[in-house]
Amino acid sequence: MDIDIKYIAKLSRISINSNDEQKFRKNMQEIVDMVNGLPEINEELALDKNNAMILRDDIAETGKFSREELMKNAPEVQAGCLVVPKTVE
Amino acid sequence: MELYEKTASELSSMLKNKECSSVEITESVYNRIDKVESKVNSYITICKESAIEKAKEVDNAFAEGKELSPLAGIPIAVKDNISTKGIRTTCASKMLENYVPPFNATVVDKINSADMVITGKLNMDEFAMGSSTENSFFKKTCNPHDTSRVPGGSSGGSAASVASGEAIVSLGSDTGGSIRQPSSYCGVIGLKPTYSSVSRYGLVAFASSLDQIGPIARSVEDIAMLYSVICGRDKMDATSKVREYPDFKASLSPNIKGLRIGIPAEYYGEGIDDSVKSEVMNAVKEFEKNGAIVKNISLPSTEYAIKAYYIISSAEASSNLARFDGVKYGYRAENYENLIDMYEKTRSEGFGDEVKRRIMLGTFVLSSGYYDAYYKRAKLVQQKIKQEFNDTFNDVDIIITPTAPSKAFKIGENSDNPLKMYAADVCTVPVNIAGLPGLNIPCGYDNGMPIGLQIIGREFSEQTIFNAAYSYEKTVGNLCRIPSLD
Repeated sequence: MDIDIKYIAKLSRISINSNDEQKFRKNMQEIVDMVNGLPEINEELALDKNNAMILRDDIAETGKFSREELMKNAPEVQAGCLVVPKTVE
Repeated sequence: MELYEKTASELSSMLKNKECSSVEITESVYNRIDKVESKVNSYITICKESAIEKAKEVDNAFAEGKELSPLAGIPIAVKDNISTKGIRTTCASKMLENYVPPFNATVVDKINSADMVITGKLNMDEFAMGSSTENSFFKKTCNPHDTSRVPGGSSGGSAASVASGEAIVSLGSDTGGSIRQPSSYCGVIGLKPTYSSVSRYGLVAFASSLDQIGPIARSVEDIAMLYSVICGRDKMDATSKVREYPDFKASLSPNIKGLRIGIPAEYYGEGIDDSVKSEVMNAVKEFEKNGAIVKNISLPSTEYAIKAYYIISSAEASSNLARFDGVKYGYRAENYENLIDMYEKTRSEGFGDEVKRRIMLGTFVLSSGYYDAYYKRAKLVQQKIKQEFNDTFNDVDIIITPTAPSKAFKIGENSDNPLKMYAADVCTVPVNIAGLPGLNIPCGYDNGMPIGLQIIGREFSEQTIFNAAYSYEKTVGNLCRIPSLD
C-alpha cells in the first residue's frame, strides 16, 4: 500500500521537509507493512465490565492553582493572557 | 561496602538502628553520581540541595523518635515523564526542555508522604517511545555493565541508575516493556504493575490504556516495599481501581510448593537468543526444585501482539500528544506566519523522529477509511490476547518467559531500523495489551551482560509474583551486581 506521507503529516500538524520526506516515507511504509496482517476476528468488541471507571462528581474545585502559576510555563503571555497568532480575520 | 551499594530494606533497618543517617546515605549516592555519571548518564536533572534538605528533615524526625514509613530517608530517582512540582519535567524532549510542573504526580505525593528523598530526574526515550534511551533529546544513557551498550528503554535512566548505584531505587513507566526490558538489560528487578493499580495522574501520557508506573530496585523486598507505597485508588485517575492491597513485604514468602508455572512455547521460538533461552530454562529448574510444577502451555495469538501494540499505542499517542502545540506550555517555534504554521513548526522542531513516526502512524490508523482495518482489528486482537491469558490462568498460577530476546545491544546498532528496535519488546508487549502484572528478575549473565526472566501473573496477583521471585532470589542469591565502572 502507498502511504500519502504528506497528507498524514498534515493531519498530524507536522511539517516534513523534502530531505526527510524520503526517510519518513520509507520508515512509515515498513511500519505499516509490519502492522498489516492482523487476523480478521468475527467478534464484537465487548466492554470490560470489571474495569468500569469511577468518575468524580461534577463539582468545580477552585483555588488549587493560581493563574500566575499556570501561566508560568506559557511561551508568551501579555496582561495575564496567552498570546497566539491572529485566528479570526 | 559503601552505603549506595545496599538495598533499601537493608538501609531501612540501618536507619532504624541508628547505624547510619539519611544524610550519609544520600551523600553516598551523590558521591557515586559524581564518580560514574559521566560514564553512565542516567540523570537529566540532579536535585542535590533539596535532597540533602529532605534527608536532614528525616534524620531530625528520627532523632525526635517519630514513627516514620519503612522507606523514610531512602533516596529514590524518578523518570522524567513523572511530574514533580517545581522540578523540571522534560520527558527527554526539546518540547518540554524548560517545563516546570505546577503540581506533583500522585506517585510523587506518595513517595514524599513516605519521606523518601528524591535525588533527581532520569533520562529516557523521548516521551517514553523507544527501547534503548537513544531517543533522548539530551543524551544517551549507557549500560553500566558495558558502556558501549544501551541500557534498554524507555526507562533506561531508571534501570541504569539503580544498576550503577546512582540510585537505591527508582520509578519508571511501562507502556510496552519500558520498565522490564531495561531492567533485563541492566540486571535489576523491575515491576510493571497490573493496569489500574497505580495512579497515572501526573504521568505524561503516551498510551493511556497501557501506561503504568512501576518500581525498579536491586532486591525483591525493595520492589515489594516501593510498590506498597505507590499503589492504590486515586480519585484523580478515573481508571484506578478501588481495592485493598496487602503489605507486600510483610506477606513475602519463599514457599512456592505447588505453584503452577506455565512455559509458553511462543516465547521460546525463533528470534530469541539461545543464551537467553538456556539461562531462563535453567532458572525454571530452580523454581521446580523448590516445589513448583512446570507445565508447557500455548498462547497462540502472541505473534500478533506487537502489531496490535503499535497500532493501539500509536493511535493513543497521536491523540495524547496533540496537546503539544506551542500555546499553553512547552516549546514554541520562533518564526511562523499564522496559527497553523505555528503548530506545524513547533511540533516539527520540538519532537524527535521517533515521536513523529508514532504520531503519524497513529494518525494514519485512525484516519478515515483505515480505522476498521487497523484500529478496530487491533482492539479485537487485544480482546483475544486477554482471553487467552485468562483461560491459561485457569491452569497455571504464573507464566515465565524471557524478558527480552537478547542481551543489551550496542549503542547505534538499531538506530536506523525502527522495526529491529520494536522487536526488542516482543516478550513484554502482550502483558501490557492484557493489562497484567509482569516482573523482570535477573537470572544469569552472558559474557558479563545480564539476562532477565519475566514472571507474568493474573490481574492483581503481584504478591504471587513477588513470592516466586523471592523464592528464586533466596535460592540462587541476589543476581543484581553493581559494576565498578572504574
